[in-house]
Amino acid sequence: MEIFEVVSMGMVASVLYLIIKDKQPAIAYFIVILTVISLFLYVIQYVREVLHLITYLGDMANIHSVYIKTILQIIGISYVAEIGANIVRDAGLESVALKIELVGKVFILILAVPIFRSLVETIIGIFPM
Amino acid sequence: MKWIGFVCVIGAMAWIGHEVATKLAQRPKLIRMLKNALQIFEAEIVYSHATIQEACQQIATQIPDPLSQFFQHVTDRLDKNPDSLYAIWKEEVNNCWQTTALMNSEKEIILQFGRTLGQHDIVQQQKYIQLAQTHLDRKLADAEEMNHRYGRMTRSLGFLAGLFIALLLL
Amino acid sequence: MLGDTSILFQIAGIGIIVAMIHTILKQMGKEEYAQFVSLVGFIIVLLFVLNSIQDLFQEIQTVFFFRG
Repeated sequence: MEIFEVVSMGMVASVLYLIIKDKQPAIAYFIVILTVISLFLYVIQYVREVLHLITYLGDMANIHSVYIKTILQIIGISYVAEIGANIVRDAGLESVALKIELVGKVFILILAVPIFRSLVETIIGIFPM
Repeated sequence: MKWIGFVCVIGAMAWIGHEVATKLAQRPKLIRMLKNALQIFEAEIVYSHATIQEACQQIATQIPDPLSQFFQHVTDRLDKNPDSLYAIWKEEVNNCWQTTALMNSEKEIILQFGRTLGQHDIVQQQKYIQLAQTHLDRKLADAEEMNHRYGRMTRSLGFLAGLFIALLLL
Repeated sequence: MLGDTSILFQIAGIGIIVAMIHTILKQMGKEEYAQFVSLVGFIIVLLFVLNSIQDLFQEIQTVFFFRG
């Protein structure tokens, strides 16, 4: 059960954080960052398998690969934005974290524009003028 | 293998710290010894009317090692050419200071003192000896304070630095 | 499987030692050296963290953005 590894790592990190916090707050913060990063690095392996499944299904269903790619990029942007926002939030910069999330949303919107346009074009193509 | 390396690094750094600490501890001792030597010098010159060479010989027999060698060398070399006291003094001071824990400020005082040696009558000479004594007193207080403040610190600092490097190389 | 925890302990150790050196130097009255030591420790730890951030971002790029 890998969940035990994750939980124990979090506990170890929090104990170390408590030890260092008073003396060297910056280094304590680095411990937090490292924990967050290794947890994300850990979980991304499983995400990769799920994404392989999604691309495989998309290939089977003959969906244009651009759409699958865009969706995966959107998921990736949300993932990165989540990591960044969490790390910044741990440092106590709530407002900066909110801005990072906002920028992530805007980028997702920009990525979704071509799909939306092709959808509208398809709909217009269905109804002959 | 890794752990042997760690022990080596930590041991070396701790040893360096220990060495610095012992040097710091040695300095007040040596300055006290120097003061002692000057006292003997004063007694020899003012009360026994000894020559400088005899006084140096006398000091060399009464003072413990690093300084006794210095005075012994001065005596020996004065035997060979008795003219250039200051040159001999200066050279021997330079030699002596390289190997001991004494610092440049004491060296300056002793060099100053050496310049006055044999230039004046007994009363003046006594005054110069006392002047050097007071200078050394100040340096002694200085050295003792430094030893008190930094002595134990350097030891733990060396050990911690070793630990730090070992951790970096982990 | 999980990225080894030893790096956490290493950084915690560096932090503790830097803190100790900092306090000792401060007691000696060498404030500027104390600050310098803190800075050096900070930079060293920063290098470690930068490495792992790079790892994470590269991994994310290969998984989500199909880039090598």
